[in-house]
Parts: sequence; C-alpha cells; structure tokens
Amino acid sequence: MVMKNVKNAHYYQIDNKVKNITAGKGVEILESKVAYKKYPWVRKYLKEKPSKGYFIWVKKQVDFPLMTCISLASYKSIQKLSNLLVVEEGLDIKANAFCNALKNDLCGVHQANGIVILKKGAKLEYLHLHSWGEKDLVEPNYEFYLEKDSQLNYYYKNFDPPKELNFKNYFEAQENSQVNLKVYLLGRKTRVKLEEILDLKGKNSKGLITLKLVADKKSNLEAISKITAFNQNTGHLECQGLLIDDGSSISLVPNLVCKNKKAQLTHEASIGKISEEELTYLRTRGLTEKQAINLIINGFLEK
Amino acid sequence: MLLRIKNLWVKAGSKEILKGVNLNIKPKEKVVLLGPNGSGKTVLAQVIAGNKKYKINQGKISFSHKDISNLSPEKRTTLGIVLAWQAPPKISGVKFQDFLSKINKSKMINDIENFDLKISSILENELNTNISGGEKKISELLQVIALKPKLVIFDEIDSGLDIKNLKRVCQLIEKELLEKGVAALFITHNGHILNYFKPDKTLVMLDGKIICQSKDYKKILSTITKYGYEKCKKCPLLSNR
Repeated sequence: MVMKNVKNAHYYQIDNKVKNITAGKGVEILESKVAYKKYPWVRKYLKEKPSKGYFIWVKKQVDFPLMTCISLASYKSIQKLSNLLVVEEGLDIKANAFCNALKNDLCGVHQANGIVILKKGAKLEYLHLHSWGEKDLVEPNYEFYLEKDSQLNYYYKNFDPPKELNFKNYFEAQENSQVNLKVYLLGRKTRVKLEEILDLKGKNSKGLITLKLVADKKSNLEAISKITAFNQNTGHLECQGLLIDDGSSISLVPNLVCKNKKAQLTHEASIGKISEEELTYLRTRGLTEKQAINLIINGFLEK
Repeated sequence: MLLRIKNLWVKAGSKEILKGVNLNIKPKEKVVLLGPNGSGKTVLAQVIAGNKKYKINQGKISFSHKDISNLSPEKRTTLGIVLAWQAPPKISGVKFQDFLSKINKSKMINDIENFDLKISSILENELNTNISGGEKKISELLQVIALKPKLVIFDEIDSGLDIKNLKRVCQLIEKELLEKGVAALFITHNGHILNYFKPDKTLVMLDGKIICQSKDYKKILSTITKYGYEKCKKCPLLSNR
C-alpha cells in the first residue's frame, strides 16, 4: 500500500530529507525543529529539541484532508522523528499519514514520537497507513490528548509489516470526549508488539478500542490493551486474532481498570483459525484454497 | 450420463453416513431426493461438491465420464457442479455484491434488478450475514446462476422461504437454469418443491441408502404422507425397485 500522489502530500520526507512542505490556508506546517524555535508553547509538548519530523497546526477549518508521507528509501537509513499535530477548537479535520519503505530489503529504522492535541470540541479522523519492507525496524510511539468535547477516530492499517514493529499509543480523554481506535494488522514474517493505553479521565468520556490481527508465515503478535476509567465513563475493548499457520502466535492481553463505580468497561477477546466450512464454501464457488484464504483474511481486516 | 455415483460409502469421523449410494443423473434431468432429517442427504450433496470433511471409503463419483472422486471443490465447480448450500456460513467483511461480481460468469447477473426479488438487503450485506433464512436461499440461487452450472444441487432450497418467494425462486430456477438445459438434484425433506417441478425421477433416502426410486413422484409423496419416512421400508413401491 503506497500513497499514490506523494507530491500532493502537505509534508513529504524521504529518509531524512524534507522534499516538500505545502501548507494550505488555515494550516501551518513546519519542520518540528523550526516550530520548536518559533513557538515556545511547542516545548510543552515536545520535551526534547527535535531534529526531524513535522509540526502541523490546524488553525482554521479546511475542506481537504491533510496528508503526510514519510518514506525510507536508502539502505540502512535511520529516521528519528518528533511530530506534533494540533487541531484548534471546534475544527473538524481529516488527516492521512503514510509511512512506508520504498524497497523491500532496506534494513531501515523508522522511529517516531508523535503528539496529537485535539482542542475543545475538535474532531479528527486520522488514517495512519504503514507499509514496510521485510527487514525494517519500526517503532512509533504516539500520544493523543483530547480536550473537552473532542472526538478522535483513529484507524491504523498495516498490511505490509516490517521485520519488527513496536507500536505504542497513549490516549487521554477529557470530559465528554470520545476515542475510537481501530487497528488492522496483517502479520507476515514479523514480530509485533502493540500497546494501547486509554485513560478516560473526564466525566462522560468514552472509548472504543478494536484490534483485528492476523498472524501468518511465522509471525509473532502481542497486543496489550488497557482502558482505565477514572470517572463516569464507558469503554469497550475488542480484540480479535486470526491465526493462519502453526508457526505463528498471537497473544492478546485486554486489561480494564475501573476507578469509578459509575463507569462501565467491557471487553471481548478471541483468537481463532479460518473455518474449514467457510473455506469449503468459497471453494465450491470456484475459488482456489489460496484465493479463499486471502478473501477471508481481507474480509476479517475489512480491507 | 452426466453424474454417476456408484456404491458410495462415506464416513464423517468414525461414523458411517452413506452406505452404498447409487445415483445417476442425465443431462437436463430433474431429480428429487426425499428423506427425513439425518438420513444423509446433505452429506451426499457435500460429497458431490467435494467437501473433504467427508471421507470416501468406497465407491466412485463420475461427472461427464470423468472420475471426480478426488477432485478439489473448485475444480468440480469449474466442471459445472454447483451446490446451493442448505446452511451457508457467514463470510465476514465480504460484501455480497462484490463477491457475486468476482465469481460471475453469467450475463444474467448483470440484470439482477430484473429478477423481481427483494434482494437489496442481500446485495448490501456481507455474505450470508444479517439476512433471513429465505434471503440466504435467494443468495444461494443468485450465486448458482452466476456460476453457469451444468448440474445444480439444491439442498433444501424450499425450506425457509415463504410461499410467494418460493414461487418466485422456482420460476427463476425454471427460466434461468432448467429451460437452459441445466440438470438439477433437488434435496428436500418436506417435498414443497414438488408443487413447482415435476421431476423425471424421485428418490427416497433413509439411513444413508437410497431405498426407493420412481418416475411417479405422486406415488412416493402419497406414500410418505400416508406412512411417514419411518415406514418407507414397508412401502409397496420398494418391491418395484
């Protein structure tokens, strides 16, 4: 999965070189090191002086999706990014973030620390697509802070995983805010550790975490998901795993912590294999076994 | 002969289900297979379609003079054998409309709206998901038509459909399949399908064996109505086999 028109990206980086920055009206986009110097308040979020990465400040409503594209292109390239995205009060924004390797055997490293701030009443639909080579190491670590009445719909999709993926997300939801996280991952020859932590801090804040993980071709997938209700909150955690071959493994660890008697937290977790009946059914429709397996996997991952 | 099944013995796990089944279907022939629940009808349908859950211990299945006993389900479908499942499984995340386009070999399916069937919920939903039992039958029929078969096995197509929809489904089967020379094996326990099709041959299956066969479906139906399946072995027709 590669972004089709990278030249249209508002922020486009290859290895450690920024190829393009195009900010539309109402949006300011800078390299994060520039923003760190220009705006003292940025230091509140970026604890250390950044060297690479983007700063995107959405100040006014825009009618286009923001697009970022960060690629690995050179052998053994190492990216260490600090990204900051701030959406101002009451804005309704879409953002598409693409991170990928342009070749399959680069042995690259992509490390990203990201902070996303949704101000009061802001809404963000955030699509995060990853596509890596078989020998890459990828370690994104994102924090999302949702102010009162804000809403985040975050979809992470990775159907071409790296050799190793360590992916951490932290969400902090204030009063009446909502987090909806969906993670879709197809693991092939990979080792993945996912950690999703959601703190429902404000009254009536809500959270839904959905994980759909497929382990194939000797993959090892581990997912730790934790929702903590500090207030009168509702949260649900849904983790589903599909194991394709015997050499793979999936570990799902759902964790619910309730600190308020009016809170309601629930979870469902399941790991299964492809049903023989479904396979046979599709084969009686003329699909080969391989085609049928791919169709079931794609359906499971809502591809 | 289009389909020839000779002395077929089949096990599911350690249990013998089919015990020496013989069945012949000619091109364009309409055959009805009656039998109570658990008699082995669905297993026979699944074995013909190539479901590897069932093990053939003895016997042979031929289609157009080719031994297909060890062929994969998809190769049998390619040859022209298509099964309309009694209870098709849910396939999550696969939209029916997309799936139908993927398997479609028939121009008829392009004019699907002309079928005069209430199919909008089938088209919009995922395959065999959130639709009624009757809608599943219609979904199966549409897939069958899309695959342009030579032989269709309808496993209980007449159960779960209301009278109005059963009539429409049967009209569609007649127009899109039978009139075009497709042979059909109708498996049924209630015999409702016999109100719409006059079969060339009617068979009764009990305990994994076809115990009765006649060209006169009315005689068989009246016998079953009068004595029930359990008493079929005492049926006067049995001696005429």
